[in-house]
Amino acid sequence: MMGELLFLIPLLPLGGALVILFAGGRMPRRMLSGVAIASVAASAAMTLWLWPLAGDRTRATLFTWLDVGALQLPVEILFSPLAAAMTLMVTVVSALIHVYAASYLHHEPDIRRFFTLFNLFVFAMLVIVLADNLLLLFLGWEGVGFCSYALIGFWYRNPDFAAAGRKAFLVTRAADVLFGIALLWLFRLTGTLSIEAINLQAASLPPTTVTILALLLLAGACGKSAQLPFSSWLPDAMAGPTPVSALIHAATMVTAGVYLLCRMFPLISLSAIALAVIGLIGAATAFYGATCALVQRDIKKVLAYSTISQVGYMFLAVGAGTVTGAMFHLLTHAFFKALLFMVAGAVIHLAAGEQDLFRLGQLSKRSPTLFWLLLVGALALAGVPLTAGFFSKDAILAACFARQTLWWTSLGIAGLVTAFLTALYAIRLVYLLAADRESASGHGPAPRGLVWPLLPLGALALVGGLLNLPAVWGGHETLGRWLETPAGALPSHDLEWGLAAATLLLVAGAWLFIRNRYRVPPTVSPGGAGVSFLAAGWQLDSLIRVIITAPFEKIGCLLEKSVERRLSATWPAGLGRLCQVTGQSWRVLTSGYVSHYLAAMAWGMVLLLAMLVVLLVL
Amino acid sequence: MNGLSNMPLLSVLLLLPLAGALACLAWGRRAAVVAVMLEAVVALVLQSGSATPALRWIRFEDWAWIERFGARISLGLDGLSLLLVWLTVILLAVAVGLSWPRYRQPGFYALLLTSCSGILGVFLAQDLLLFYLCWEIMLLPLILCIALWGGARRVEAAFKLLLFTLAGSLLMLLAFLGLFLLHGRQTGDYSFALQALGTTVIPPELAPWMFGCLAVAFLVKVPAVPLHGWLPDAYQEAPTAVTLLLSGVLAKAGIFGLVRVALPLFPATWNSFLPVLGVVALVSIGYGGWLAYVQTDLKRLVGYISVAHLGFILLGLAASNAMALQGALLQLFNHGIATAALFVVVALVERRTASRQLPQLGGLWSRTPQLGAMVLFFSLTALGLPGLNIFIGEILILLGAFRVQPWWGAAGMLGVLLAACYTLRMVQGILWGVPRGPEKMADMNRGEALILAPLTVLVLWFGLYPMPFLTLLRGPVEQLLTHIVTTGGLP
Repeated sequence: MMGELLFLIPLLPLGGALVILFAGGRMPRRMLSGVAIASVAASAAMTLWLWPLAGDRTRATLFTWLDVGALQLPVEILFSPLAAAMTLMVTVVSALIHVYAASYLHHEPDIRRFFTLFNLFVFAMLVIVLADNLLLLFLGWEGVGFCSYALIGFWYRNPDFAAAGRKAFLVTRAADVLFGIALLWLFRLTGTLSIEAINLQAASLPPTTVTILALLLLAGACGKSAQLPFSSWLPDAMAGPTPVSALIHAATMVTAGVYLLCRMFPLISLSAIALAVIGLIGAATAFYGATCALVQRDIKKVLAYSTISQVGYMFLAVGAGTVTGAMFHLLTHAFFKALLFMVAGAVIHLAAGEQDLFRLGQLSKRSPTLFWLLLVGALALAGVPLTAGFFSKDAILAACFARQTLWWTSLGIAGLVTAFLTALYAIRLVYLLAADRESASGHGPAPRGLVWPLLPLGALALVGGLLNLPAVWGGHETLGRWLETPAGALPSHDLEWGLAAATLLLVAGAWLFIRNRYRVPPTVSPGGAGVSFLAAGWQLDSLIRVIITAPFEKIGCLLEKSVERRLSATWPAGLGRLCQVTGQSWRVLTSGYVSHYLAAMAWGMVLLLAMLVVLLVL
Repeated sequence: MNGLSNMPLLSVLLLLPLAGALACLAWGRRAAVVAVMLEAVVALVLQSGSATPALRWIRFEDWAWIERFGARISLGLDGLSLLLVWLTVILLAVAVGLSWPRYRQPGFYALLLTSCSGILGVFLAQDLLLFYLCWEIMLLPLILCIALWGGARRVEAAFKLLLFTLAGSLLMLLAFLGLFLLHGRQTGDYSFALQALGTTVIPPELAPWMFGCLAVAFLVKVPAVPLHGWLPDAYQEAPTAVTLLLSGVLAKAGIFGLVRVALPLFPATWNSFLPVLGVVALVSIGYGGWLAYVQTDLKRLVGYISVAHLGFILLGLAASNAMALQGALLQLFNHGIATAALFVVVALVERRTASRQLPQLGGLWSRTPQLGAMVLFFSLTALGLPGLNIFIGEILILLGAFRVQPWWGAAGMLGVLLAACYTLRMVQGILWGVPRGPEKMADMNRGEALILAPLTVLVLWFGLYPMPFLTLLRGPVEQLLTHIVTTGGLP
C-alpha cells in the first residue's frame, strides 16, 4: 500500500500544475505561487517520508498503459536508491527555485503560465527519474523537452527567444530519434521495455549490437545533456527567465542524459568501445565548454557553457565506469550551479536587466550576501579543495587515472586541463562581478525571497562533499554505499593525494593569473579572431546551419516547386485535358444536324435488320 | 436491454442522416442539429445490448435488396467499425458546429448529412455493391459543397477531386464486377457478399490486376504519395467543415477499404504487396512532412501534416503484425480527431485574423491566450508528444514495423523528427513573435470552446488510457491476421 503512495511524488506537482492552469486565473498572485511552491515542497516531503522504501527497491503500478500483442506496458515506477537520490535532489532544488521564482517574477503579468509549466516540468522530470520502463521514461523525456521549449520562449514577443526555444526542442528531438531507434531495437531484441529486464538480458545480446545500442542511447543522452555535437541549443536557451535556466538548464533536465546512462549502465558497460566513446565525448565536451566559457561576456552564457562543460565531466565519469562518481558530481553540480544561476539572476535583477559582465560590478559593495554566495558557488565550481565540487571532480579524474591505460590517462589529463580552465573562468566571473567600476544601476537591495533560497544551496555547495567523502579523507563513501552502483577502478591513495595537490596547484595558478589580469577592471575590447571564435561556441551554430538547416529548407522549397507542382497541378491538369480532348473528339457524333441523326438512325436500322436476318438464317 | 439488441440500429444509423438531410430541406438547418444529436445517441447505444463478445460481429443486419444480382443490404459492426462510426459522428457534429455561424443555407447541411450516410455505409457494408454505392454517396455531396461554397478556385479544386476519386472508384467497380463474375461462374451463386467472395479462387495472372485496381482506388482516397494530387487544392479551397470530413473520415475510408476489402479478398497478393506499401508509406511520411515544412497557407500545411500522419498508418499496415495493425487501426481514430482539431483551430484563427498565411500571422498568444493554448495543444498532438493520442498509435506502429523490417522503423522515427520541425514552425508562426493583424480580438466564445473541449478530452483519453479502445480492436486485428497467416504470411 505504501508503494502506491510513491505515485504522489510526481502527481503532486502535476496536480499543482492543473490547479494553476484551471483555477489560476481567479487566484490572487500570492496564492498562485503558493500552490506551485506547496505542491513541489509536498513532493519533496513525500520523498523524505517514503525514503525507506528505496532500500527495498519498491515497485508500484498504477494501471496498464498499453497491452498489445507482445508489449505489456504498465505505468510502473521503481523507487531504487539511485532514483531516490535523484528524486530528492530534484524535488528539493525545485522547491527552492520555485520560491526564488515567485520572488524573481513579481513584476511578470503572466505568472500563471509560468508556474503551470514550471510545475509540469517537475512532474515530467520526476517521471523520467522514477519510470520503470523506457516508454514511460520517454514520456517524461519529451515532457521536459516541451516544458523547456515553452519556458525558454516564455517571453514570446521577442521572436529570437521563441526561436531559441524551438531550437532547443528540435536539437534534442534530433537526438531523440536515435534514442527512439534504440528503444525500438531493444524491444525487438528483448521483447520488453522494462529497464531492469533489459539490463538483465543485456549479457545475452551479441556484442556488436550492444555497442551500437549503447552508442544510440549515448546520442539520446547527448541531446538532452547538451553534449557535443548536440550542444548548441543550451547557450541559446539562456533566453528563458533565470529560474528556468537554474532549474531546467543547470540542475535537472540537462543531467537527465547522465541519469539515463546510469540507469542503463549494466547494458552500456558490456561494450568497452561504447564506454571509451562516452569518455571521449565527455572529456571533449568538458574542454569545449570550458574554452567557450572563458571568453563569454553574457553572465548567463558563461554559466551555460560551464554547465555543458561540467556535464561533460559526468559523461567522462560514466565512461570511466564510475556511476557513483557521475551521480556524485551530478548532485554537487546541481547545488552549486543552481546557486550560481540564482545569484546571477539576482545580480541581473539588481542591475535592472543588464547581463553584460563588463557593465556589471561592485557586487561586494552593493550586496555582500550575494557576493559571498557567488564566491561559494564559484569556489565549488573551480574545485577548490574541501568544497563539494573538489571531491566530486577529483573522484572522476581519479577513476580515469586508475584505469591505467593510455586512453583513460589522456582523457584524465584532458580533464585536468579542463579543471584549470574551469578555475580560470570561475575566478574571472568573481573578479568581473566584484570589479570596482560604474555599474548599471537598478533598484535597491535584493528582495529577501531572492536570497534565502540560496542559503541552503550555498551550504550544500560548501559541504556537499561529505555526501561521498572518500576513505582517504576519513569518509565512508556514503553515497556510493547507498546507491550500490559501480564505482569503477579503485584509485590508490597516492593517486588521490597527488590529484588533490594537482588540483590545488591548478586553482592557485588560475587565481594568480586572473588576479593579475583583472585586478584593474578591464575595458571592453573587441578581442581577436580567436576570442570571437570561442565566443561563438567554435562556430558550431553556423556549421550546423550550413550543413543541415539550410539544405533542408532549400530542398523543401525545391520539392514544392518541382515535384509537387507536377503531381498536384501539371499532371492532373493533363489528365483533365485528356478527358476534355476525348470528349471533344466524340462530340462530332452529336453535331446537332437532323440529317446526321436521321442518317445514323437509318444505318442503325439497316445494321439491326442485317443482324436479324443473319440470326434467322443460322 | 433486450429491446435494443433486437432493434435494427445499424439501419437506423445509416438512414437517419438521410432523413435529416430531407428534413433540413423541408424545415431549415435546425433539423441538422436534431439529426446529429439523434445519430449520436444511436451511435452510443450501438454497443450496449450486443451479442456475446466471442462472435465476430457486435451487430449484424441483413435485408433483401436486389435479388437478381444477389446484392443484399448486409451491415456488420465490429470493434473497428464501431470506432470509426464514433469518429464519423463526432466529426459530423464538429463540422456542423463549426459551420453554424458561417453557412446559413440548409442545403449545405443536407449535403453534409448525406455524405455522412455514405461514410457510415462504407464502414458498415458487408456487401460490395452496397459498399460501392455508399462510396460514391460519401464523396459526391462533398464535391458539390466544395464547388458551391469553396474558396476562390473552388471549381478547379472540386473538379480535380472528382477526377481523381472517380477514376479510383471506377477501377474499384471494375474489380468488384470481375470478382462477382468469377465467383458466380465458379459456384453458380452470383452474390456480392464480401464473406462469400472471399472464397473465390482467383487465377494468379488476374489477381495482381484486380488487387491493383482496388489498391489504387483506396490509396487515392487516403491519399498516399504520389496519388495525392487532388489534396492540396481541395483542402485549401473547401469550406473547413468539408476539409475536416475529407481528412478526418474519408481518408480513413481509404485505409478501411484496404484492410476490410482488399486484404480479405486477396490475402496472398496483399502479402506480396506489403514491401511496396512500406515504401509508399515512408515516402508519404517524408514527402508530406517535408512539404508541410515549406507551406505558408495553414490549411495546406495541415493537409500535408495529414499526409505524413496517414503515412504512419500505412506503415502499420505494411508491417502487418498484431502490434502494428492494432496501432494503425487505433491511429485511424486518433488521426481523425487530431487533424479535425487542427483544422478547427486553423478556422478559428482565420475567423479572427482574416488570414491563413503564416507571414501575416504572429503573436496570437498575447491577444487570445485560450485559443493559443488550443493551437499549442493540438500542434503538440500532431508532433507526437507522449501522453497524447497520436503518440500511442505512432509508437505501436513503429515498434511493430521495426520487428518486421528494422529500417522501416528507423526511417519512421525520422518522420517523428520532421513532425517536430513542421509543427513548431507552425506554432511559431501563429502564436509567438510580434503581434500582427487586428489589435483586439475576442478569445474563444462558448460555442467554440464547446467544439474543442470534447476533442481535447479524447486526445488525452486516447493518449493516457487507450486500453478500452485497443481491446475493441483486438478481435478485428485477429481476424485480419488469420487472413494474412493462412496464406503463407510473413516471416
